[in-house]
Amino acid sequence: MAKFPSVRWFDAVREVFNGDESVQGGGGGYCNCVAGMKVGKDIFVLTFEGVECTDAVKADDAALDDVDFYLDMPPADWREMIANIHTNNGADRHHTLNTLDLEREDGLATSHHGDQYREDLFFRYNQTFQYFFNASARIRTDF
Amino acid sequence: MAKSSKASKVRKARKAPAASAKPSAASDPAIAATPTLVSSQAQGKADSGQPEKLEPVLDWMNKTRQWGMRVKPGKAGLRLGDLNVGIYGEIPMQWSDQSRNPRGAVPRKGMPPVGYSVREKVGMWADSAADLYEEAIQRRWAPATDVPWNTIDKLPDDIERAICQVCTELSQFANVEIETIAGWQHQMVYGYHEVKQYLATASFDAAKHYECFRKRALVNGGGLGVEGPGQVNRMILESSGGWSATVAYLVLVRAVFTMTILKYLARHAYNDAERFIYEHVLQDKARLLTYGLDHLHFAVAHDDEQPAVLATVLAIGDRVLTRDLRDPALREALAIIFGRGIRGARRQGMETYEEMMADFMQTHLGYCRWLGIARAPAEAMPPPLNRHAGASVAA
Repeated sequence: MAKFPSVRWFDAVREVFNGDESVQGGGGGYCNCVAGMKVGKDIFVLTFEGVECTDAVKADDAALDDVDFYLDMPPADWREMIANIHTNNGADRHHTLNTLDLEREDGLATSHHGDQYREDLFFRYNQTFQYFFNASARIRTDF
Repeated sequence: MAKSSKASKVRKARKAPAASAKPSAASDPAIAATPTLVSSQAQGKADSGQPEKLEPVLDWMNKTRQWGMRVKPGKAGLRLGDLNVGIYGEIPMQWSDQSRNPRGAVPRKGMPPVGYSVREKVGMWADSAADLYEEAIQRRWAPATDVPWNTIDKLPDDIERAICQVCTELSQFANVEIETIAGWQHQMVYGYHEVKQYLATASFDAAKHYECFRKRALVNGGGLGVEGPGQVNRMILESSGGWSATVAYLVLVRAVFTMTILKYLARHAYNDAERFIYEHVLQDKARLLTYGLDHLHFAVAHDDEQPAVLATVLAIGDRVLTRDLRDPALREALAIIFGRGIRGARRQGMETYEEMMADFMQTHLGYCRWLGIARAPAEAMPPPLNRHAGASVAA
């Protein structure tokens, strides 16, 4: 059981994601970027290299200056997404990263630097990020 | 006549020794270990039945611009961009060679010019091209087997018709992309091969998109709908003022429009197959968007005139896009999909359509701002773009 949000939780998801070869083909695969996760005031930075998520660390606000983009939601919305993924063994169409991005006034993915090239990595690798969060269905999450 | 006679002599000269004799590398010119050719002298002697080896010249062997390269594969393998070392990584701003000489090779004298029209780096380059090429190959998917087609169940007739209409128009968009890219690709010099190679994958992606939208239209008891109005298609295909202007239409207008539609379709998908298609096409399109933005960014940075030229190009594009948007087929079909039927289309569906169009304009104008391309204020745009642009500003 890993508590969300925590490095332990992201590490547990990483382990499932990195060990699942089925998400490395069919539109998934190589993904090279550094993505921030802003859960209310808590910030985590995930590093994706090749077919793996190689690192997850807790960070501070300043770290968001350096990431390619970050996903920003209040804790309640993160919890709802993760619970939905757990219930459905993957996000239903109301809880995909794409839908959440469309439904939030300022979008889900954003950046401090405003570099479109880096921000658009969210869409270029969207399936990989979705596969990553869908992998959380296979761990036990405590909120 | 003379040609065939010479050829027959060559064939004769290469004739293997008698079947009883075991051929060896030394005696059989066809399998000799060292490069061998049959000379005209040998041809003469061949008439007497005696094949003769030509003394190898091998003068090509010392002709290289840089020898001793040892590019090592990294964690992600040996990527196209990794090869840009030494003189092989010299990518000049102008490529004057009009032949098909690969970058870094020694040019051969007397090669007739091919007649490329895009010869300057500023006209096609994007730093990300090599990475995008690798990414396209690595993140490929196959519509035939990766899409979970069996998740598509029977849908109400109005919704099936709407999905088929949207798929008809999206497959047309994809076809235009193939033809546009292919039409320019052969006009681009060899010196910037990363771009040509990436565009080959973009063309392949578009073929895949054409395939899967057509498949979706035909897989569930429906069929193709009405051909789209096609004014933007024609504008993109007939754009001849340079690749950068075409990229502005193909990417800043068409790709951003298509990506916005795909995001909304994914959000309103009726089954896993459709969601898979929309999300995966979206991801492929994001690569084209990256190439386009990266290229236009490069073009704007290296050519002071480009922002003004692109602003004019896009202002023309606004008027053409407006004509397409006045056609009801795509709008109504999308509203039916978003509203989950004709009844829902009237209100919820059209509201979502308007929201989608505001999103499109917001994204489009945001990219223009990022590139430093001045755009007309919302109120100066032709209807209905002025309404969508106005809504995007308000949002």
